[in-house]
Order: sequence, then structure tokens, then C-alpha cells
Amino acid sequence: MAKPGTDPKAILDLDRLVHEPARLAILTVLASAEEVAFLFLQRITGMSKGNLSSHTQKLEAAGYLDTVKAFQGRIPVTSFRITEDGRTALRLYHQQLRALLPKEGKS
Amino acid sequence: MIPSTSEVPDLEALGTLTREYAAFQSRKSGLATALGGFLAVILVIAALSPNFMGLQVMNRLLIEYLVWVPLLWLGLKELMGRALYHGLGTVKASPDGAYERRRWFWILGMTLFLLAMALTALYAFASGHLQANHPKAALCPPPMWILVMPFLYVLPMPWLIRGIEEARVYAVLMAQSLLWLIPFFLFSFGPPNPPLHSGWGLFGDVTGIGMVVLIELVQIWGALAMVRGWKEHRKYLALLRSLPQEA
Repeated sequence: MAKPGTDPKAILDLDRLVHEPARLAILTVLASAEEVAFLFLQRITGMSKGNLSSHTQKLEAAGYLDTVKAFQGRIPVTSFRITEDGRTALRLYHQQLRALLPKEGKS
Repeated sequence: MIPSTSEVPDLEALGTLTREYAAFQSRKSGLATALGGFLAVILVIAALSPNFMGLQVMNRLLIEYLVWVPLLWLGLKELMGRALYHGLGTVKASPDGAYERRRWFWILGMTLFLLAMALTALYAFASGHLQANHPKAALCPPPMWILVMPFLYVLPMPWLIRGIEEARVYAVLMAQSLLWLIPFFLFSFGPPNPPLHSGWGLFGDVTGIGMVVLIELVQIWGALAMVRGWKEHRKYLALLRSLPQEA
């Protein structure tokens, strides 16, 4: 087996669902809190409603996040929670990426 | 901002901003801390100037209202939190076991303190000291609502005291209210006989000096809390400005 960072095929093992920048941002935000409102997620990622909905649906279908729907008074509020699978996928992605990147001072 | 898939977001910044925003909904109070400091200073000033500009500021009615100040602050704190720090929706902070233990330590400490104060007041009443000094006292019931107040202070704590800073503000406001409550309870039958100032000796001197030091400390603490709360609020505004603007 090749040393970490030397196998060119290792980059293909990256989870493409997590690797996509918008979804990576969503998972990072969700991993930093217990539950995050749609509005905050939209504002912090700078995405449009449609774009954010599309990405969260893909992540939910993969089992990486749960959607929580509730009412504040009469206003429907949507929030998201990262699942244990989502946390594991994000952690694994970070580990794989770190292994792929060259060490500091080496090029 | 993540407008396209070609840009890589600053993940560390995203995580930090999320945790900071969540902290304002779980632990930090911002302007509510400043309000707590302001109320503490106002109470001290009212106590030091009982006859401000010829007006009798510290009358019985006002003292009865002052004892509600800690609960009033709790209510205002909640309203301010919802109005000021939920603008972008609710973000629940990740559970922090160590912080939660410290919060419960404060709540338990304050509960024990209040219990001790209530029991002391009851003991003072039941010991017969007041009855001995005031024969009429035995004929009228004590103002029991004063003894109920400490329990009213305790009840909302597990739900409404969310952070250590809030616990500190509440403890100071509560202790200040007790300074009014306990003597108000003990002397509600009239001044003791013989008057307080004779026969207290060294104990009286130490208590007097202690009170002066306490008053100064509360004033300093109140001023610092106002600054700290205002700074925290500015930090929140900076956090909002650092978020991408809406498209």
C-alpha cells in the first residue's frame, strides 16, 4: 500500500457529497452547533433559498442531516441537525484531505 | 460566501461564527448584562440617597417594588434576548458538559444561600427576639410574602439562568434585594427596643464597614457589567456585519 499522500488514486476516494464546497460549508456549520435555523444557514453560507434547499435535500437523502420542522407561533420554521453519519463523513473527509495535502515546508 | 462550487469556503471561520452566534442564544446576554449592572448601580444610589432632593425615595412602597427587581431583570433579559439576538433564527449551541456543571453549581449555590437567608430570618422571628422587643408583634402575623420571595427567586433559575454571566448578575441583584427584604421583615413591627445603634459595639462597626465595602464593590461591579455587556453587544453586531450580505 502506498504511503499517505503518495497514492494518486486516494483523491478519488474522497466523499464527493462532502467535497462539494457548498455542502462542505453546510456540514461545517451544522457540526458547530446542535441545531441550526434555515435562515442562519442561508445567511452564513450566502446561498439562495433554492440552492440551499437543493443541497440540504441531497445531504438528507444521504443521511448526513435531519430536517426539523416546527412552528414559532404561526410561522413555520425549518432547522437542520447533523447526524452521526454526517459527523463521521465530515471527520473522514478532513482526515483524507490532510493525508493528501503535502506537509508544511515540503512541496 | 459560497456562490459557486469553484470557491472553497473558510471552514474555520464558518465554525467560529456559528459557535459565536449560538453562544448569544445559550450563554451570553449582551445588553441584558449591561442592564443588570445598571439596575445594581441604581439600587445602590437609591439606598445612599434615601431623601434625594427632598423626595423620600426609599419609602416602603418602593422597597416592596425593589424586591421584584431580580425577577423583573429575568423577564427583561428574555425579551431582550429574543428581540436582539435571534435575528437570523435559532441556533442551538452544542452541549458542553463542563459548562453545564458550572451553571448548576451556581444555581445550587444561590439556592442554598437563599435557603440559609430565609431560615435565618425565620429563626430570628421564631426565637422570640422580636416578640420580646415588640409585645404587639406576637399578635399580628409576620409579612410572610417576604419569606416566600426567596423561593420565587429560586424557581425560574434552572430554566432562565443560561450562563455563568447571567448567574453573576442575578446573584448580585438578588443579594441586593435580600439586603432590603431581611431587615424589612425583621423590623416590620417597628424599630427594635432598645434602638439598634446602642449595644452593637464591635459587631456593629464590622458590619458597618462591611456594608460600605460591599456597596463600593457592587458599584464597581455594576459599572464593569455595563461596559462588559455593551462590549459583548458590539461584538454581536460585528459578527452580523461579518456575515455575507443577502443576495
